[in-house]
Amino acid sequence: MEKYDVAIIGGGSAGLAALKQLSNLGKQAILLEAGSEIGAKNLSGGILYSKKPQKGQVSNVEKIYENFLDDAPFERKITKYILHSTSKDKVYSMDLTAAHEYQSNFGYSVLLNKLNSWFAKQAIESAEKLGGGIIPGVHVKSITWNESGNAIIQTDELDEFEVKAVIAADGVNSEIADMVGARPKFTPTQLYQGVKVIVKLPEEIIEKRFGISSDEGAAHLFAGDVTLNHIGGGFLYTNSDTLSVGAVYHYHSQLENPTEPSALIDALLKNPMISEFIKDDVPIKSKIDKSLPQEEQLRIRFAVAKQIKNWNEIRSSYLSSSGRQRLIDSGKYKIDEDIKTRLDGIENQLTKLGVTFGSDYVEAEYGAKLVPDGKRCRMQKPFFKNILFVGDAAGRGIFVGPRIEGLNVGIDDGVRAANAVAKAIDKNDFSANSLGEYYSKETENSPYTTDMKQIDKNYLKIFLDATKDVPKDLIGARYGPILKMMSNEKLRGIAVKFANILGYEKLLPMIESEDTYVKIPIQLAERLGEIVSQSYSPSIPSIADRIGNLSYNDDNSSHIKVLNPNSEFMKKMVTLCPAKCYSEEGGNVIIQHEGCVDCGTCSQETEWRHPRGEKGIHYKYG
Amino acid sequence: MGQLNVAVIIKLEPDFSEGNVSYNPDGTLNRAETKNTLGPHSGIAAHAAFFAKVMYDAKVSIGTMGPPIADLALQQAQQISDAEELHLYSDRLFAGADTLGTAEVLKTGIHKMKEKMDIVFSGHRASDGETGQTGPQTAWKLGFTFLGNVVSYTVDMETRTIRAKRLISLQGTPDVLEEIEAPLPVFISIDPTYKSSFDKVSQRLAFQKYKKEAEKRADNYKDYFTMFNADEIGVAKSLVGLPGSPTIVYKVERVPKSTATRKAEVIDGSDPEAIRKAVGKMKEALDAMVIK
Ligand SMILES: Cc1cc2nc3c(=O)[nH]c(=O)nc-3n(C[C@H](O)[C@H](O)[C@H](O)COP(=O)(O)OP(=O)(O)OC[C@H]3O[C@@H](n4cnc5c(N)ncnc54)[C@H](O)[C@@H]3O)c2cc1C
Ligand code: SF4
Repeated sequence: MEKYDVAIIGGGSAGLAALKQLSNLGKQAILLEAGSEIGAKNLSGGILYSKKPQKGQVSNVEKIYENFLDDAPFERKITKYILHSTSKDKVYSMDLTAAHEYQSNFGYSVLLNKLNSWFAKQAIESAEKLGGGIIPGVHVKSITWNESGNAIIQTDELDEFEVKAVIAADGVNSEIADMVGARPKFTPTQLYQGVKVIVKLPEEIIEKRFGISSDEGAAHLFAGDVTLNHIGGGFLYTNSDTLSVGAVYHYHSQLENPTEPSALIDALLKNPMISEFIKDDVPIKSKIDKSLPQEEQLRIRFAVAKQIKNWNEIRSSYLSSSGRQRLIDSGKYKIDEDIKTRLDGIENQLTKLGVTFGSDYVEAEYGAKLVPDGKRCRMQKPFFKNILFVGDAAGRGIFVGPRIEGLNVGIDDGVRAANAVAKAIDKNDFSANSLGEYYSKETENSPYTTDMKQIDKNYLKIFLDATKDVPKDLIGARYGPILKMMSNEKLRGIAVKFANILGYEKLLPMIESEDTYVKIPIQLAERLGEIVSQSYSPSIPSIADRIGNLSYNDDNSSHIKVLNPNSEFMKKMVTLCPAKCYSEEGGNVIIQHEGCVDCGTCSQETEWRHPRGEKGIHYKYG
Repeated sequence: MGQLNVAVIIKLEPDFSEGNVSYNPDGTLNRAETKNTLGPHSGIAAHAAFFAKVMYDAKVSIGTMGPPIADLALQQAQQISDAEELHLYSDRLFAGADTLGTAEVLKTGIHKMKEKMDIVFSGHRASDGETGQTGPQTAWKLGFTFLGNVVSYTVDMETRTIRAKRLISLQGTPDVLEEIEAPLPVFISIDPTYKSSFDKVSQRLAFQKYKKEAEKRADNYKDYFTMFNADEIGVAKSLVGLPGSPTIVYKVERVPKSTATRKAEVIDGSDPEAIRKAVGKMKEALDAMVIK
């Protein structure tokens, strides 16, 4: 049997950081990833932060990947952060850029397929020199221990092998945690359900519409009626030439009052402010004259398809300064005007073929995944024997107000785990008492853990400042006195201390309630909001079209098995599965696994596994 | 133990994949318009050579006889196999060669390669009308043991022997997997069903490493590339091209296509009514197929 010092399971941003750090420390490590390539299975919102906490140290992305700022394929540096309260066509907006900038060096919008592949490239380069590396397309299915305490790893694809330590970076639906019994599965109260679509929009339209320059970006957050009465909210982040529009809702609130996840996204897309944000010119095909000979009909159809493809490609390059440069460098065009002439030419041809141009939006990818709320579910001791849990697998996500931080936390965890393993290699002691306890202490000392445990009064003040113009009667009897106390500099300290003594557990039901996310925002919008008019109605794809548009490598057998086909929970999955994999027949719930996006929503009451290596969903954006 | 040296002989072929192939009005292949690519069977042979690279750290060389544009096929095969030597044998003299004439060029080319070969791989056959003889004839000219239809193999580096599984399919009898052992050097014609499998962590690591190296090399394939004419490889001119090709293509007869017995109908996919009709017809057909 082959033997290695350490195996990292899962090649998301957390696992990759662990590999990079181990390699930086001169230790050989191998990383196993189920997806056919790195980035295929990862999904985020997402803003990747680099933080400078007042107390303690974190390992930021640009420290681990030295050339991150020069070379990494991030999207835009977020420079505007605005919270909108919505009610029908009314919107009340609050600038929370100060909250976004709080204790942070920067926050970039990112797309994980691209970014994680870049991380992988950097990590492999260092890892290979030490005889390690990344093995994609391999799904770990079991871990056992031999008499010397080493872990024996079994996969669906490879011969079993032996390691002294494991870093479990297998995400929120960690099978490793489940199979070794390191912790119970996360419960709906501890989780949020995230759904997201990627919307295409040319670079310069984004910049003009959001009032940003080519190296700036905007984040817009939404609460109010767009939540369809769920606890949570919506977001819209600008990427280079796409937008990420997503909804993140407390899973528990979803179970109590199930709404189709795609409907939650649709509610956002239909909101007048968001529809205007995502609006673009799109070609609209007309019906082909059926009286024409069939060959002629086919010819027209092919010509239209080909020209629309050309139009899209040239237009998105034309509306981007780097795109124009690329076209000119390629030698096909001399000056910008030439590109415009070509574009006009294609438009003319399309018009002749019966194509018209109108307003709509273009959706490129749909996806969903659970997000762990670290306040409620972080592992107190994120290890089991010689397995260290990092990132989402350890339940370490930060949810404070509209802010979600999982990427930066996972990266920092990955580094802490790598440091702990490197130390264990030097001491040749991989016991839980040494390796596990050391890592556990390290994560406990992480400023991120503090964020998961305590309210930060300075962060809170930013919100209070932003709401200072809001009439207090609007906030309601329940919050009025608290707010009053919080607004007072001296009392705030005492109040926060008191709140922290009570602990998040007691406070959360009050902070994260329908009042906060739904009722108060609706009233705010109605009383103080401005009317946003909508110039078109977006044609939103059906869920079947959305799933049809995704890439899969089908597995003939299902990775998920329904345990109790007539439980209340499973019946709710018919509505709550974002990919519509479940249906009810004669009182029994059945699964068709082919469209599954591995989100984990149904894992509570199913025998849930990730698909075998290379199988299942393959995100192109993520 | 020594180094393992393998060569692959490949072929540039018309790309029969959708959108790349072009026909003359009379239905024959329009060679000028049709794009060219590495032949699919050659691709499989390159994969088999890459297996030797990953498993035994073999040194891979590739040779092909063809027009100057065949460097494209060499580049594609290099990207699969991580070869470090690419040979193109190109000369007007080689034109009109049959399989025997081709085999003579390839044999001479293989002798010209830097290393003394332990295994030479070829595809099962070419997809543009070659008859599957080039491989065996090259083997015979090289004096190597010929192993046909190989679906998997391992090499014992100590004893320098190869163990290979051959798929033998004869019409009317069940398929047989024959396992054979032979001392190196051998010539392997690879079966179309061949698929490399890597079951160990170390093999997967090597696979990733060499795959990356292969991509890098293929980006700069010219650094590995040499073109030879007849004089440069030093082939006996009487044995190549037309003079070296005893086969005479006397006449090519087009076999008339039988008219289709199916009745096809073009359906507009955007018309729900048309789709409904089609599904109805499919149901009807399926029902008829069930033995009642
Ligand atoms: C809608 C949404 C919005 C978000 N917004 C933000 C944001 O703005 N900012 C932010 O910081 N965070 C955000 N997050 C959270 C963030 O995306 C996650 O915290 C982060 O991606 C988790 O990274 P990870 O490496 O821990 O896990 P993952 O990225 O989930 O990676 C786990 C990997 O392990 C692999 N794997 C799993 N099981 C196995 C197995 N058995 N064998 C082999 N491989 C396996 C998987 O294929 C996967 O690649 C958001 C999340 C969502 C869903
Ligand atoms: S089947 Fe389960 S894991 Fe898959 S998409 Fe549906 S809810 Fe998510």
